[in-house]
Amino acid sequence: MRIMKITIKTSPMLKSVILAFIILSGLTGNMERVSASGSPKTGKEISKASNQSSPKETSVKAVANDSKPMPVYGRWKNFTTRDGLPSDKAYAVRINGNQVYVGTHDGLAVYENGKWRTYTTKDGLPHNGIVTIDVSEVTGDVWIGTLGGLSRWSGGKFENFTQLNSGMPNDLVYGVCCAGKDVWVATGGGAGHYDTNLKKWEIFTEKNAPMHEPWTYGLSAGDGKIFIAAWGGGVIEYTTSTKKFRDYRDPDGEMEIDLLPNDGPVHDITTGTSWADGKLWVSSYFGLCNYDGTKWKGYFDHDSGLASNFINFIRAEGRVAFMCTDQGLSSTDGTNWVTYKKNDNNADGKAIVTTNGVKKEIPLSPSISHNFIIGVDADKDFIWVATSSGVSRGELLK
Amino acid sequence: MKISTKKIWILGILVALGLTIYFPGHQFARAHVNYQTGVEDHPLSCLNCHLYILSTGPIAKMVNEDYYSPINLAVSKDGSRLYVVAQEGNALITVDANQNKVINKIGVGELPHSVVLSNDGKNAYVSNQWSDNVSVIDLSTSKVVDTLQTANGPAGLALSADGKVLYAVNTYSSNVSVIDLETGEEQKRLEVGNNPTGIKLSPEKKLLFVTSRRAIIAPYGDPVKTEMTLINDSSRRIEGFKTLESAHIAENVAFTPSGDIAVVTLVRPKNLVPSIQVERGFMMNHGIGIFEQKKDGRIIQLLLDEPNAYYADPFDVVITPDGKKAFVSNAGVDCISVLDMDSIRALITVSTPEMLNSYANNLGVSSRYVVKRIPTGSNPKGLALSPDGKKLYVAEQLQDRIAVINTESMETISTIDLGGPKKITVSRRGRILFANAGHTFQNQYSCYTCHPDYHEDGLVYNMASKEMGRNLTNTQSLRDISKTAPFKWNGKNQTVYKQDGIRFSTVLTRTEQFSYPDLDAITSFILTGIFYPPNLQYNPTRELTEAQLRGKAIFERTVDNTGKEIPPENRCITCHPAPYFTNRKLADVGTLAATDDSILFDVPHLNNIYASSPYLHDGRAATLEEIWTKFSPYDKHGVANDLSKIELNEMIEYLKTLSSPDYYESLKKEIHTENTSN
Repeated sequence: MRIMKITIKTSPMLKSVILAFIILSGLTGNMERVSASGSPKTGKEISKASNQSSPKETSVKAVANDSKPMPVYGRWKNFTTRDGLPSDKAYAVRINGNQVYVGTHDGLAVYENGKWRTYTTKDGLPHNGIVTIDVSEVTGDVWIGTLGGLSRWSGGKFENFTQLNSGMPNDLVYGVCCAGKDVWVATGGGAGHYDTNLKKWEIFTEKNAPMHEPWTYGLSAGDGKIFIAAWGGGVIEYTTSTKKFRDYRDPDGEMEIDLLPNDGPVHDITTGTSWADGKLWVSSYFGLCNYDGTKWKGYFDHDSGLASNFINFIRAEGRVAFMCTDQGLSSTDGTNWVTYKKNDNNADGKAIVTTNGVKKEIPLSPSISHNFIIGVDADKDFIWVATSSGVSRGELLK
Repeated sequence: MKISTKKIWILGILVALGLTIYFPGHQFARAHVNYQTGVEDHPLSCLNCHLYILSTGPIAKMVNEDYYSPINLAVSKDGSRLYVVAQEGNALITVDANQNKVINKIGVGELPHSVVLSNDGKNAYVSNQWSDNVSVIDLSTSKVVDTLQTANGPAGLALSADGKVLYAVNTYSSNVSVIDLETGEEQKRLEVGNNPTGIKLSPEKKLLFVTSRRAIIAPYGDPVKTEMTLINDSSRRIEGFKTLESAHIAENVAFTPSGDIAVVTLVRPKNLVPSIQVERGFMMNHGIGIFEQKKDGRIIQLLLDEPNAYYADPFDVVITPDGKKAFVSNAGVDCISVLDMDSIRALITVSTPEMLNSYANNLGVSSRYVVKRIPTGSNPKGLALSPDGKKLYVAEQLQDRIAVINTESMETISTIDLGGPKKITVSRRGRILFANAGHTFQNQYSCYTCHPDYHEDGLVYNMASKEMGRNLTNTQSLRDISKTAPFKWNGKNQTVYKQDGIRFSTVLTRTEQFSYPDLDAITSFILTGIFYPPNLQYNPTRELTEAQLRGKAIFERTVDNTGKEIPPENRCITCHPAPYFTNRKLADVGTLAATDDSILFDVPHLNNIYASSPYLHDGRAATLEEIWTKFSPYDKHGVANDLSKIELNEMIEYLKTLSSPDYYESLKKEIHTENTSN
């Protein structure tokens, strides 16, 4: 099978265009919903609908494959500014026990005991555009990446690191990841490593790491390694014990077609990585792939249940990876798929379940709040989704 | 008797020779002393200066002594033993509390700070501030049985409620090490307030309260704010922060037995108003912070000071088991203040929020709760109560002894000599003067108040000017400054004698200047008795990392990244050469503010510079990075604008490794020996 693929030059202009597209998607999110649906539901209506259990949703047990069933989420509840969010444009979400942190365009929102509380620059954040969030399992500190620096939120206090006051590489923080005592950031000026014990920064760019350029989008930790999604550089792997780098590049290089499937990352322009259950998952704007330590495997919207090849963010939890695309949320265990999409004309939507190649649609009422998905996190019973027009919470259907 | 002509001639020649030498010699000596002291009547005694400012060699050993300098102490559960931390003796001294006699001295690490006893009373844990570890002592054998690694500069210690975890407060790295006592391993480091020292577990055994000495670094003009940190003992995580407004130097904390109140010691600096107003009571106040422990509990500050009498440098606080009395050691005025806790409770109960706010600046309130001032020996520091609360033990740091106070009669009933030298050397006398507020108007503050640990307090003062906001001065460290003259940011004081002489009394203390013997003594101490802590945080192995070496090369470079030669006056290394990293000259680095007099700046020494934030003469740079990212746009503070962020980071990593001058002298010797043997 030959897979067509357009090679994108890694010019700053293009990056700006894509970044602008993401932001504008957020800006137009509300407009799209109103114009498409014609009669959008009120907050109360959405809330009421979400509290009702759909008989159709509860029948999804049947979609399980032979071994372990893919989790399917339903009973969606959507949150917007009407519910207390500072902005409908949500960029990141992270679950931490009984709290959920949502990064929005206008501040950090924290959901606890059914209520939202907002934190902004007035509370000490370095910038209101909250793009990425992670929690240190060691100290419990929350690390928040913004469009104006990195912040450690500990005991209610924000301690800010910027490119001017610290060794931070750059103030545009697209990804943050805690690994033991270390905090890693993916920024517009390279990847940064902060040793919280020694209070020491290291910066990695194309000058001292096998990167194409300093622009990095996401990162994750696992198996004693850090996996950096570097613009135009594929995946940069850093082994913490040896402090050595290696890179995984698309063997097709600048070619416009993918000569061989499963020959490496699907593209050198990567947007995120996530390591779980012995597998590295890598997202790009041109498809999805994973690496089990020996083999790469690629997934595209035309040959799998993936909603779109344009993936903004990825997070793997256990054997399941969740992909935030511009056309819905997809999840997969590598074989089976569940994709959540909202209808264009109302608040309802569907879950498209692909089991062993067989597709089945399950109506959802309501659905996720928007199809342009930017962030996701899941725990045992819930999934939270950050979209360009609100935040959605789904319950695991058992 | 006939005297031969020859002898008369010889005598005459000798007299003439003597006079020839004496008059110009005397004149030279006079001129020399006048220059050194900035006055014309300082006694001409060579020994006063040249003998007592020697810090190394056999003569220095002869004129100096090794003191114990007790700082903190703990009492055994049965009250029979005292365990005294001898800060400069590098030992834990065991005292028979019934006989008031020293039993033994157990060697520990460098510059020990605090001691806690295990819940079963079998072990003592001693924090070693200059070794970055904790000594575990088996009290049955009086032997060190283990050493636990910490972060930088461990001071206060506390055990978890279950006794399984030791919390070590790391003063220099501003975090707390959480150490698993079963494995002896440090589990994690929790980031706490700036320059923390004291720690206590609350009586309900849920929260640990950590005090901080330094304020949050903020631009001049912002009120001083200092963070106290709460740690959840169950989760071993940060629970929250409580802020002391307009106060800092919170050394220690104590809880009432019921746990309703935590009391911390504090200093209220008036650094935003001209320091010259000291005679108006506008420089320092000393007091306590009351932290109500209930939800949304108030934070109230009460002064220990009285009208016309200040009680400088409160260090430790303990509260009796019945919760009725609190004792605070006022290290700068050699006394213990006794506080009636019921009076304090009554006062804060009946007071409106406005009244409570006013108490923080009201000298007239302390008479309502301070029931007695108990005189002590020099520089009372750590306090400990006997288990029944009937005796208070006081570590008299510069007296090398422990005072025993009857808590009911509030009288000193005995003292325990720790066995240190009996002789008070000139340098020791200087240290006693340094730590005592007796030379400042109404005892308002001591040298130590602005130079805690003989270092600096991290604040910027409005110094030597009658106008608000003019000539701001970032307090400078006093560590090993003997070879870094001139002094002051404008370099106007060529010697410490001048710095601490008449100008000092005119500008700062607003009282009589030091007598010349006192001036000689305090100068002797400053020039010989203040050392750099080893830089264990950034230079622990004495071998620079590759990144630090690259940073060193940038620091010493002569060409920029384009290959262009950097003018010598714009190279880092020109103004900051080892071992003191100052060329002792004046320079313009482009940071003169409109509010400054037109001056050049004395190039500061950079040893242990990582420990001296904020930076620049007026403290405008909160971090080393900001010197170049914010305040050197035209490369006047060395050429750095061509550096990439990686290169700037590496240069700063190198700067953080800068250690004591001794370190560089020894490196030089090592290199010389290597070269000679090759």
